[in-house]
Amino acid sequence: MRPENYRPVKHPPSHEYELYFGPNHPGIEGNYAIRVRLKGDVIIEAIADGGYLHRGFEKIMEERLWIQNVALVPRICVPDPVPMEETYSRAVEMIGGLEVPVRAQWIRVMLLEMSRICAHLFTFGGNAATIGLYTNMFWGVTMRDYFLDLFEEVTGARIYHMFITPGGVRRDLPEGFLGRLGNLLDELERRMPEFEDLFFESAVVINRASGIGIISQEQALSWGVTGPNLRACDLPIDLRRDDPYLVYPELEFDVVTVEGGDALARMMARRGEVIQSIRILRQIIARLPSIGGAIRSPLPNPLAWNLPVGEAYARTESSKGETAFYIVSDGGPRPYRVHVRGPSSMHAVQVLEKLLIGARIEDIAQIMFSLDACPPEVDR
Amino acid sequence: MSDIRPKYKGSLLRPMKALSFLFREPATLPMEPREATELYRGFHLNDWEKCIGCGTCGEICDNSAIRMVDIPGLPGDPAAGVKARRPAIDYGRCCWCALCVDICPTGSLSMSREYVHVSRDLDTYLILPDEAGMHGENFQKGWAKSEDSDLLDLTRRAMGELEAEARSDNFNEVTPGYDAQTALLEASRCIQCGMCHEACPAHMHAPEYIRAIWDGDMERAVGEIYRTNPFPHVCGRICTHRCETACSIGRRGDPVAIRWLKRFAMDQVEPEKVQEIALKNGIAKSTGKKIAVIGAGPAGLTAAFDLAKLGHKVRVYEARPEPGGMMRYGIPEYRLPYDKLDADIEVIREAGVEIKCNMRLGEKENLQNLRKGNDAVLISTGMNLGRSTRIPGSDHPQVASAVDLLARITLGEDIKAPKRIAVIGGGNVAFDIARSMARLQRRQYGAVNMTVLALEERGAMLADEAEVTEAADEGIVLVNGRGPKQVKISNGALAGLETVKCLSIFDEEGRFHPRYDESDLVLHKVDMVIEAIGQMSDTSWLGDDLTEALEWRRGRIAVDDDGRTSENWLWAAGDLVQGPDVIHAVAAGHKAAASIHSAVAAKKGAVK
Amino acid sequence: MSIPAKLNDVLHEMPGIKVRMMNERRVRVDLSPDTLPALLEILKGRLGYCHLSAISCVDWVQTDQFELVYHVWSHMLKTMVSAHIFISRQPGQFISVYDIHAPAGFFERDIHEMFGVHFEGAPNLNKFILTSWGGPPPMLKSFNTREYVEKTFDWVQYSPDWLKDIEAKGGGID
Repeated sequence: MRPENYRPVKHPPSHEYELYFGPNHPGIEGNYAIRVRLKGDVIIEAIADGGYLHRGFEKIMEERLWIQNVALVPRICVPDPVPMEETYSRAVEMIGGLEVPVRAQWIRVMLLEMSRICAHLFTFGGNAATIGLYTNMFWGVTMRDYFLDLFEEVTGARIYHMFITPGGVRRDLPEGFLGRLGNLLDELERRMPEFEDLFFESAVVINRASGIGIISQEQALSWGVTGPNLRACDLPIDLRRDDPYLVYPELEFDVVTVEGGDALARMMARRGEVIQSIRILRQIIARLPSIGGAIRSPLPNPLAWNLPVGEAYARTESSKGETAFYIVSDGGPRPYRVHVRGPSSMHAVQVLEKLLIGARIEDIAQIMFSLDACPPEVDR
Repeated sequence: MSDIRPKYKGSLLRPMKALSFLFREPATLPMEPREATELYRGFHLNDWEKCIGCGTCGEICDNSAIRMVDIPGLPGDPAAGVKARRPAIDYGRCCWCALCVDICPTGSLSMSREYVHVSRDLDTYLILPDEAGMHGENFQKGWAKSEDSDLLDLTRRAMGELEAEARSDNFNEVTPGYDAQTALLEASRCIQCGMCHEACPAHMHAPEYIRAIWDGDMERAVGEIYRTNPFPHVCGRICTHRCETACSIGRRGDPVAIRWLKRFAMDQVEPEKVQEIALKNGIAKSTGKKIAVIGAGPAGLTAAFDLAKLGHKVRVYEARPEPGGMMRYGIPEYRLPYDKLDADIEVIREAGVEIKCNMRLGEKENLQNLRKGNDAVLISTGMNLGRSTRIPGSDHPQVASAVDLLARITLGEDIKAPKRIAVIGGGNVAFDIARSMARLQRRQYGAVNMTVLALEERGAMLADEAEVTEAADEGIVLVNGRGPKQVKISNGALAGLETVKCLSIFDEEGRFHPRYDESDLVLHKVDMVIEAIGQMSDTSWLGDDLTEALEWRRGRIAVDDDGRTSENWLWAAGDLVQGPDVIHAVAAGHKAAASIHSAVAAKKGAVK
Repeated sequence: MSIPAKLNDVLHEMPGIKVRMMNERRVRVDLSPDTLPALLEILKGRLGYCHLSAISCVDWVQTDQFELVYHVWSHMLKTMVSAHIFISRQPGQFISVYDIHAPAGFFERDIHEMFGVHFEGAPNLNKFILTSWGGPPPMLKSFNTREYVEKTFDWVQYSPDWLKDIEAKGGGID
């Protein structure tokens, strides 16, 4: 059955045709569609078509209490939920003038970096699958699952943690957790060379990904590209550095940049970021035990909690790029307005549409995955 | 960092290394039930013994996944704040955020360490969790209540009070009331579960007025208060606050200070505005019916207020010079300033109630006349006789009754407090008289010598804890576990009170029957003994015929659920029917008024 | 905490602008809608405000206005300027800033779809998310989601055995 919004071209020249790519195509990340017009197997026009994952988060959030939205926000991005929780909570903290205890800040950074690793491992896997390398997908998902085990230990949930709340986090770390995190990082470091063998230094991958979906520096800046995609254009821009939050200023890490701006560069940037995240986590493992104190500043009864009138724009560097929340409070127990800026709302729409022109049909999936576009962020 | 891009074309052989995985342990786990981590948020567990059915879990639920189920046969007790219902969880809607666990006032809810539920039967997704868990397999507790994640504010905002120095020689009000910020913070602790509403004898709309206070809308709060209680200034100060006993927050913390919040709202609104709000529904057109109320205490005046609003002509007969009954003549001014009581009564007068004071029945007016001249008569004369211990020597003139003395203090009589006084009793009245007389002692001698002798041990006192500690601050000595033996008299003068050690207060069947160790004798050398061991009603004025005609129950006039006596023209309400308590009297007043209203409405014609 | 001098100078070239420092890297400015494109242009040209992070729309029912907030970031100054403008709600109309910031294309399209604001000169205001939706723009405060849901969908009716037992005894869901 054709989707309702499918509109075929009226009088197509015989050598041009239109293809509805998605929404359940294995080469599409999440539920998303692209309407492509092709000449032979070369794309001459691409129109992104979202809406398959629209759950009306922004609207629903206006009807929930400040604390209830904690349970809602991680769902905006399935592979990388923690930055959503963090950004929402930080915006609420900015409006309410809430302090986050230092220990909670460290725990939050730890979770953010763990989530970044998970998301990147997921993307390696997905990216490999788009060019037929399923083994790498299984590996990526397996390693991610070990991290999910750790998330389960800290937060009580594997994917949607709902753990970061305005004012801190919900629990302190369980006994011996940092040790287990350290062991897993060791394991990941042991596995990285195997990922190189199978994927990053495989002739198939390098040949397929090189020169695909090239973004120039000028284009990247003017199209609103952010995150690893931007840094793959050799631009050292990272919110953790430029617009720092939590305890990032106290942590040492490199802003990973790669030359080229093509699909391969974007993958390499992510690989580099995994290494940097491991570095950050190692510092946290060393520092966190010496940081005591509360993990949450006291909040009023959540059923009777009004935030003062005001607005805040909070931004977080997620695995996909710049995640931001604009929240407006009218002094009531619920947000008056929440605007979610998912980084993929740039990457999966305007950027993707432009990059696909001139690409070949078999590279659509590869380009989309290399941008790490996350459709639920676009649809919200 | 730009060097991480591979400069070569990659290898075709290196991926082959992955073949080594054929010989490694698989990462996947067998599909057998296994226990999740210690904090896992699996399926709900609910300890039915702890759960009070307050429904707060349903309030915080993001997805309306929690609905309360009424369960017949489950013990429910409104006074204790327990409802006969338990939460059911709809796993078609639950998102496992566990906010329900974090907010649960009792800590009865938790989540199990169980991962999986798979079924084609939709009905299996709605469960009524108990301690065995979703599949009855007793998976251990995962996410449960912890101090870290508790969402409730369990600490009550303190009520300030005058320093002992500043209060113990005068009758100024001890507590100054909340300020706006404190009241708002205290009001914000309320979770709106409504346990207080159920527990309150008058079913006051406490959740509604607390929410109004939190919203900063005091006039709305006053409106909510006046829906059920025409004595809000009084109850905002001296109510026995059953609501706070039932408060869900009190399960693990301090109950919300519902009484102080009511007081705050009342104190914020101008008296004229209060009158306007109290009477905003107007007064019904005159029905031409006449009703007499005997006794201007809380029960009588509440009934009079209700009846007057319904359009009846109500006249209240009061023996004492001013209306208010025990609220004026029993409760010391430092707990309830007279002007606050007057403000409440003024609203009642404003509704058209006529109060005739100094009208003791049997003197200027009598019951038979009232019966003839009215469509209905309500008696609400309260309990104003003090009980006596009847121990040897208790008929000495220096042995006084607490209620008599309290009334005389209110009347402004010049009372000479002796230097050393003993009070027998451990209830609020004992402390009222002890603290009042101690004030007079301090005024006259600059020092207090006051001993309260309670039968009960310290932990089982009948008086409010605040009374006991405030009395101690004012220099009053409390001696627990002593029963009165005799009043020692030498040469006609009172020499002291002899007490014995109390071994137990109640017998096996729970009746009041104290046992004493007669060998443990103590003589308290005092100049005066005050008995504060309870009150009783004076019903002698009813006359022999009526006393004969009425049905009685354990020495009190028997009434039906609506306050009607066995005589169809006569209703009775308040302390004389059910024992002393203002809020119970208010509730009884409402009931009697409703009953009288429907009875007189059914009657044809009016009394001439 | 003070606004970088360069930024302060540039901002105050705009007539009738109100500038407020929200925190060390957030500046809120309020200005009239007609000066907004000039402000974005000048910020981009002179101070490197080339990253349009987002355009947020707020529906203010009481004043019958839409608030549009343009969040722009300078990689040079590392400061975010959030420019707030208020436009009339009837009709919700403004000019597109796509020529200055390409990302505006997506945000304007989104706001058009969700709030019904028309952006003059926007490259593409076609529906994106709610392709088959015929109702009013759903993010308007006047659109009540709960009402719509109650009208459109049914609640699941469960009747497990335990509930039947309780109902037989006179209890049941509150």
